[in-house]
Amino acid sequence: MRGNWGETILGLAVLAFAGLFLAYALGVTGVGKQGATYELTARFGEAGGIQPGAKVTVSGVKVGDVREVTIDPKTYLAVMRLTLDDKVKLPSDSTAKITSDGLLGGAHIAIAPGGAEDDLKPGGEISNTQGAVDLFGLIGQVMRPKSDAPAEKPAAPAASAPASAAPKGTADLPEM
Amino acid sequence: MASLSQVLLGPVAALGRAARDALAAVGRVARFAGQGIAAALTPPWYPRQILSQFLSVGFYSLPVVGLTAWFTGAALALNIYSGGDRFNASTVMPQIVALGITRELGPVLAALMLAGRVASAMASEIGAMRATEQVDAMVTLSTDPRRYLIAPRLIAATISLPLLTLITDIIGIAGGMQVSHYLIDLAPGIYVANTVDFITAWDVESGLIKAGVFGFIIGLMGCFHGDHAKGGARGVGRATTSAMVSAAVLILASDYLLTSVFARP
Repeated sequence: MRGNWGETILGLAVLAFAGLFLAYALGVTGVGKQGATYELTARFGEAGGIQPGAKVTVSGVKVGDVREVTIDPKTYLAVMRLTLDDKVKLPSDSTAKITSDGLLGGAHIAIAPGGAEDDLKPGGEISNTQGAVDLFGLIGQVMRPKSDAPAEKPAAPAASAPASAAPKGTADLPEM
Repeated sequence: MASLSQVLLGPVAALGRAARDALAAVGRVARFAGQGIAAALTPPWYPRQILSQFLSVGFYSLPVVGLTAWFTGAALALNIYSGGDRFNASTVMPQIVALGITRELGPVLAALMLAGRVASAMASEIGAMRATEQVDAMVTLSTDPRRYLIAPRLIAATISLPLLTLITDIIGIAGGMQVSHYLIDLAPGIYVANTVDFITAWDVESGLIKAGVFGFIIGLMGCFHGDHAKGGARGVGRATTSAMVSAAVLILASDYLLTSVFARP
């Protein structure tokens, strides 16, 4: 328009760079390659931090994601609809487990493939599941016993042991 | 008696005059904006003018906006890495860079660069046309200067800035990735995967909405100050400066307003 070719070429270069980086980013994360998929469901006793969009992994490699998390009003179990890569067939006795990347990291579903001959059919259900571990509940369980619950247990032997050991102790002392 | 009341009331009157002038200026800008929007939304349009404004506002701003974005992303990544290390925030550096760029820095910095580059250019262009009575000649030839000069600039600025902001977002994140790759030794793939997993569509969209508002402000300030330039070459110079300064101030103020609306849970 104005004959300033230098600026035109620079502008095109910026556009090209942004386009290339976007293509690279989408390639790395696999947002673009939405191949053939199939669906499975799984029921968990504790959904933990799983939300739609969370990863589904096999041996730590992403093979799909969580499409939907709902509650079964009869059994009170969390029902998850998973979308998996069509190339990944899972044996029917595979186990789905909710884990997280780090201590407080993003929750995802790790599937441990089983050894059965037949594969899970599309639309099937993973029956072996293990819900999320309530980390803070666990910490609470470990910490609380120190103050009251184990106070009874270790205290009881401690209280009874000296009762029986005391005579021995006092008997031993003079010998020394 | 008269002098005493003058002494006492003089400062009050000056304050009142200043307030009245400020209100009058707001009113002038609002009326100008209303006329500009009306001209931009209703035919006849001048496609050649609109296209040429798109080129000068949008396309030719790409290099400067790209450079700004790259260095901002790189500096942001480095700062968050070294400063955030104090509370272990360095592990979420890609996510913080992505948030900062898409929600705040991308639109605001692109808008400020555009205010410097485009608002001042518009003001000087239209101001010079005013000073040399070209605008009046246009009216004589029964061409509405609002449709021929103002509307194309408003349209181009309002639509170009969101597009530029999209480029800013991408290049800013690329800048952050480059720093984290060469200085912190974080694999580019991991950086990008963390970023893409983390940011939501709304992070980007809210930035683009802001950018549209900023673009309109830039076009409006450039045209308004150019159209109201008085007093020959000096007036044009003043109009250029005030177009840029007022655009920048309005961008930052509206940024806060828009963010406070968007950030409501």
